[in-house]
Amino acid sequence: MDEQARSVLNRVIRRIPNKNIKNLLSKWNCLSADQLLALDYTKPKRMIVEHIIDCCENSSLNLKHITNLEMINHIDNPDQGTWYACQLTDAQDDAVCVELTQFKEQFKAHLHGVIRHISIKMKKHEDDAIWIRIAWGDNFSKPNHLKPTYVVHHLHTSYVFISNLMAKHKIFLCQALVVATRHGSIKDGHLSTRSLTAMRDLLLRRYQQVFPSVQAKIQQERDSPPLHPCIGKEHGDHEEMRHQMACEAFGHGPTPKLETAVYKLETRYRGNGNLTVSDREEFFRGVVRFSSSSLLESLRNCVSSGMAEGPVTPLLSAITRRGRNSFVITDKGPGVSSQASAPRA
Amino acid sequence: METMDQGVLVHLMSLERAGVGQQDQHQSERIQMLKVRAASLRAKRDQLKHQASVIKILKDKIGKNLPFGDEEEDGDDETGGFAALQQSLLTAWKMQLKDLQHAHHLIGGFDLVECKEGKSVCVSFHTAYEGVYLDTYNMELDLMRTVQISRHNIPPSFPLEVLAKQSLEKDLKAFLQTVSQNLNALAARRQQVTLVKDLVGSVEVMESNELCNILVLMCSAQSEPPRAVLCTLEYKDLTQSLPTHVSIESEDKTLSGSPQWKKNQSLLLESPAHTALLTMKRMGSIA
Repeated sequence: MDEQARSVLNRVIRRIPNKNIKNLLSKWNCLSADQLLALDYTKPKRMIVEHIIDCCENSSLNLKHITNLEMINHIDNPDQGTWYACQLTDAQDDAVCVELTQFKEQFKAHLHGVIRHISIKMKKHEDDAIWIRIAWGDNFSKPNHLKPTYVVHHLHTSYVFISNLMAKHKIFLCQALVVATRHGSIKDGHLSTRSLTAMRDLLLRRYQQVFPSVQAKIQQERDSPPLHPCIGKEHGDHEEMRHQMACEAFGHGPTPKLETAVYKLETRYRGNGNLTVSDREEFFRGVVRFSSSSLLESLRNCVSSGMAEGPVTPLLSAITRRGRNSFVITDKGPGVSSQASAPRA
Repeated sequence: METMDQGVLVHLMSLERAGVGQQDQHQSERIQMLKVRAASLRAKRDQLKHQASVIKILKDKIGKNLPFGDEEEDGDDETGGFAALQQSLLTAWKMQLKDLQHAHHLIGGFDLVECKEGKSVCVSFHTAYEGVYLDTYNMELDLMRTVQISRHNIPPSFPLEVLAKQSLEKDLKAFLQTVSQNLNALAARRQQVTLVKDLVGSVEVMESNELCNILVLMCSAQSEPPRAVLCTLEYKDLTQSLPTHVSIESEDKTLSGSPQWKKNQSLLLESPAHTALLTMKRMGSIA
């Protein structure tokens, strides 16, 4: 096993807690049962890593197997690193007919055509997600497996999730995606999180949305015990209305665990301060950042408890409506800038 | 001189008597006036109450579609004045119903719910297959300047953008009908895959996707020796729940060319996947 393989293995094992190593290795299915039993997980990490390296050398495993291990680890624990969302636009007529093998072949063919040394691995997960691991080299040097890019795409959707992509490789990846999925172009999705699960839940709508309809008045989950019969709620109607409003904007039940939302202000100062005319001409640059362990849940709570006044401002509800968490507010009036005015698919 | 003899108190008493006598007079006049006024107000109140109750009865009758003018509890003089009222109430009701009917036609019979004080509407699409209700999808349409889709919970692999570009601006009814048709077909195809997995355990689903426009099944044929047969069902028409193309592959070329499997191929083309597979199982083609 060469130096690179060893470093990759080292990095993978070092990052996961000891109790998960056994699971990962059995899923990897490259070491024999005896070798797995022989491993002692109570030893310090450094020794475990060395032991595994020895096992791999005994079984003559190479870089390919190690990168497979890294990929399995990443698929099981997707919420590491920072993920960015991109959106494919201008679907061509046959975009709907693209099937898995076709996508794989075209993607690989395009990248192999533009970069001589590149290593691409693709796996389809059971929930229809295609995971792609790309180790970039260039025309002279071998692929660098220590800094792989991970891409996740669900076929026929227009969303692509990318992690760890360097600026110089961005154009190649975008071209390959556009060609393989038969779309016209790809653009920035203005959504970035540490948690891929949250990003996927938000964009692929894997949370419960609430719509106003004739029959439904959503069942309010009363965490509080049933009220005493002698106690009446004076503002029951208002409370229900606020709850409905909050759930319509941010969803019902468990929401995608977004962590931040950033609003960049590019507006002009309009206060009555002691500023000269030239000061007023310049932009008043500011950044508003919301942070929370579960942003959507806290915003929903704000609205339903009455802390924020309804109706929910489109600046906040745009997080779920447009599926983004980074906005630029300009002087064109209240609301999101015209870049984001196109409704998402 | 008498007053001087009798004293100031007597004088005061006589003054008092004179004053009271005068107040009495005013009071009785005033009381009279007030009594008359009260009586007239009461009469007016009774009349208005009566009028209001008659109108209420008429309105109730219209609401319940009962014929009126038949039951005349009151005398002629009262209902005569209400004939015009009945007429106008009826006409208003009829116009309202006609407008509602026209609106219903415009939107193709879908139930639209108004939200945000008329700035947007919400429409629900129900899907069902083989008599079983499946998912319901909702869509909110913004009506401000042009009709635009504001938000929805339709799966992202569904080609909603394409359909919207085709017909949303021009013909709302056609758009809603196309979306409903496509959603129902998608639900039908997805349900078929679920039924194949649940009912036909011996067949393995090798490949499928969210849009359910391709389905690859691996069956084991009942032959000597048992061979694996790969059935590929392609659904090129997304408005249909039946495949447009079926191909049968097997290692044994004679098997896939045999008349039995040709029949199976047409069975898969003409009937839903789970029904076809169950028939094939029953006929002994597959295990």
